[in-house]
Amino acid sequence: MIKLEHVNKSFHNGKPAVRDVSFEVNTGETLVLLGTSGSGKTTTLRMINRLIAPDSGQILVNGEPVNTQQIESLRRNIGYVLQENGLFPHYTVAENIGIVPTLLKWDKKRIEERTHSLMEKLRLSVADHYHAYPQQLSGGQQQRVGLARALAADPLVLLMDEPFGALDPVTRVSVRKEFRSLDEIHNKTVIMVTHDVPEAFELGNRICLMDQGVIQQTGTPTELLFNPVNDFVSNFFHEQRFWLELNALRLTDIKPWLGNTIPGENHAPVLKGGNSCWEALEQMTTLSAPVNIAFEDKLVRIDTSELMHAFRQYKQTVNGHGRSTRLS
Amino acid sequence: MEDQPGFPEFVQQQAGKLLEQTLQHIGLTFISLLIAVVIGVPLGILITRRKKLAGIVLGIAGVLQTIPSIALLGFMIPLLGIGAKPAIMALFLYALLPIIRNTYTGILQVDPVVIDAATGMGMSKRQLLYKVQLPLAMPVLLAGIRTATVINVGVATLAAYIAAGGLGEFIFGGIALNNTNMILAGAIPAALLAIIFDWAVARLQKLRMQKVKTALYLLPFLLLILSSFYLLPAAYGTSLVAGFTPEFMGRKDGNLGLKQVYGLKMRTVVISDMIMYKAAYEKTLDVISGSTTDGRVKAFDLQSLTDDKHIFPPYYAAPIVRQETLDKYPELAPALNKLSGIINDSVMTELNYRVDYLKQDPAVVASDFLKAKGLLQAAKHGTKGPVVIGAKIFGDGYILANMYKLLVNGYTELEAITKTGLGGTKICFDALTNGQIDLYPEYSGTGLLVILKADKSVVDTLVSDKQKVYDYVSREFMQRYHIRWLPPIGFNNTYALMMRRQQAADLHITSISDLKEYLLHH
Repeated sequence: MIKLEHVNKSFHNGKPAVRDVSFEVNTGETLVLLGTSGSGKTTTLRMINRLIAPDSGQILVNGEPVNTQQIESLRRNIGYVLQENGLFPHYTVAENIGIVPTLLKWDKKRIEERTHSLMEKLRLSVADHYHAYPQQLSGGQQQRVGLARALAADPLVLLMDEPFGALDPVTRVSVRKEFRSLDEIHNKTVIMVTHDVPEAFELGNRICLMDQGVIQQTGTPTELLFNPVNDFVSNFFHEQRFWLELNALRLTDIKPWLGNTIPGENHAPVLKGGNSCWEALEQMTTLSAPVNIAFEDKLVRIDTSELMHAFRQYKQTVNGHGRSTRLS
Repeated sequence: MEDQPGFPEFVQQQAGKLLEQTLQHIGLTFISLLIAVVIGVPLGILITRRKKLAGIVLGIAGVLQTIPSIALLGFMIPLLGIGAKPAIMALFLYALLPIIRNTYTGILQVDPVVIDAATGMGMSKRQLLYKVQLPLAMPVLLAGIRTATVINVGVATLAAYIAAGGLGEFIFGGIALNNTNMILAGAIPAALLAIIFDWAVARLQKLRMQKVKTALYLLPFLLLILSSFYLLPAAYGTSLVAGFTPEFMGRKDGNLGLKQVYGLKMRTVVISDMIMYKAAYEKTLDVISGSTTDGRVKAFDLQSLTDDKHIFPPYYAAPIVRQETLDKYPELAPALNKLSGIINDSVMTELNYRVDYLKQDPAVVASDFLKAKGLLQAAKHGTKGPVVIGAKIFGDGYILANMYKLLVNGYTELEAITKTGLGGTKICFDALTNGQIDLYPEYSGTGLLVILKADKSVVDTLVSDKQKVYDYVSREFMQRYHIRWLPPIGFNNTYALMMRRQQAADLHITSISDLKEYLLHH
């Protein structure tokens, strides 16, 4: 659990880097700090493991203020992933992964077992890469080692600074997918910095959008899209809005407007209420046919036009409460 | 006349000494290197953390580096005396800059992302230094050690000037004695050492980073072992310590004669003529190879030991002149001969005393003396010539060259130029035969033993009679080199073993044989 309360930080020249930042991230939750360069998101992240000291405000990790905790032990209990991976060039893959467990004085056998299991989970070949040096690996493999290193001592908290930023688009998607499917992530408190909007929507339970050191809005992807608190927030997603909205909306969200359609034949593919509108649209386009959706209380069969109709209805309704958004 | 033996024979004959000098050389190099690493690496680390200090520390180390090595050795003598201490100190100061600088840049060039990752993972400053910064800075740091090693191997040759031993003993002895084999016997091993160490450290640099860790732990031990080489040769010793010049060490009428004729065995260090007398006065040395007319003999109250077995031939000084020059300017010889027979031993010692110890200008001393003797005439500002007068680097030479200049300018229409400070006998004599100088004052004994390299049998028949020596060298020089010996000036500047007057009296030593007896029983 991480909590920031009214945190301020200025640069050496007196310019504010972070102003009055407060948020809370619960165990098992992933918060994405989203923003352009210079928005203060990395500064915010680095204050949590005390790589930067705040000028004022309070930061708590697991209920305790960070500045009262012994600095090395605080950091050893926080996983840290960097954009440029920061692997030690003079350490082998296994030695890199074992850095924090070694600092924590785990016994050799335990470190070895942990390294093996992490490498398998992250699809790194133990036979090929265990004794390899980072320079001998591809960018994607290096980043996987970086992830494994951060997870090695099974920390409760994971800080990630643009963890996929240095990878090419194809590799980025695959590493991201692996990261998301890691069972280890689900009981951790994760804070991730990124400027990549799709990445933020894909990985974040909640997103904290920052600009010029100030939090503009913190909320779920749906909240940010459909209930933006100001023009900055609504304009920020302008370019990709349609795609983001379809992705963010679950089928459950538009259920009220789907009507009571007759159940389809048994052999038709079935989606669940938790799937996104985008996934339903993809299915229908690929099959050129309507799809079945199994909600908890009913089974419906919809085609493209019905889906889009419900989508529009949803937007009209939420726009009635929230601020106006430009139509996509 | 005997031919110089070939280089392999020389090395074979001198194998023991060569090994001793090589070991001393390695020892000197690595003791100072070890100290430089022990001090320079932490200092380099410190200035990566206190950046304000970096400029000052690197600046001071840089200035030290620019001091000429021989001068740096000179500065050390008043502070640390002679021997190993000042030599190691000077070498240490030279090795410091490359080691500090490379530690500093090596650590600064470590990828900041790696440092950030290490810090973020919870490494303490100490762990960061030992596990990340030093291993990653190691190739650059080793490059600094490599530079320092090569510099030290080179500069260590100069240690022979201040009685610290090393391969410089052969090099400077060889230059003084006109013995190419001896120069090579010192220079080749010195060059080989530099190449071997350079190669060895280069290999170390190229090792995989993992293995560097092991190398890092091995390095101090290796340095310690190599350093200990210096102590090996010094293991034997006697109650009295002798300091001889490189030239004296290799001469038949020097240390070789002392060993053969007197059977004198004592702990001997090699030392430059410039600091030898003072070292005796300051009790760092007990016996030195002085020259009888040196001003410092008077200044430091030293006593010559009687050469009761006559190994030191007479060294009567006389101007030696190219016959070509004499033929061209017949008026030259009479002008030069005005000095003949005028200066005896005590006069020369007095003149040297004024120059060496009272630091008076040799030109002033020369002109005062000629005036007192009524020989000084105003310069005629002649336009003929010029006649170039050379002199060796010793006091005698400076004063005599200045007197000859005044005489030539005063009594002839020739214009005289002096070219003093021409190193040793070899350099001076080569300049004369090549026509770069026309004359210089030389000693009959040097002519006999160093230039003509006369046979032992010839030397034995001549050595007790000063006239015979003079006649022999006059004849041989004219025949072989077409160079004329003019009549002797009068004083006999021969070698002598010298001790502090007080100590000689206390130990009842008046002759070299007494010294040998004393050493046998103490």
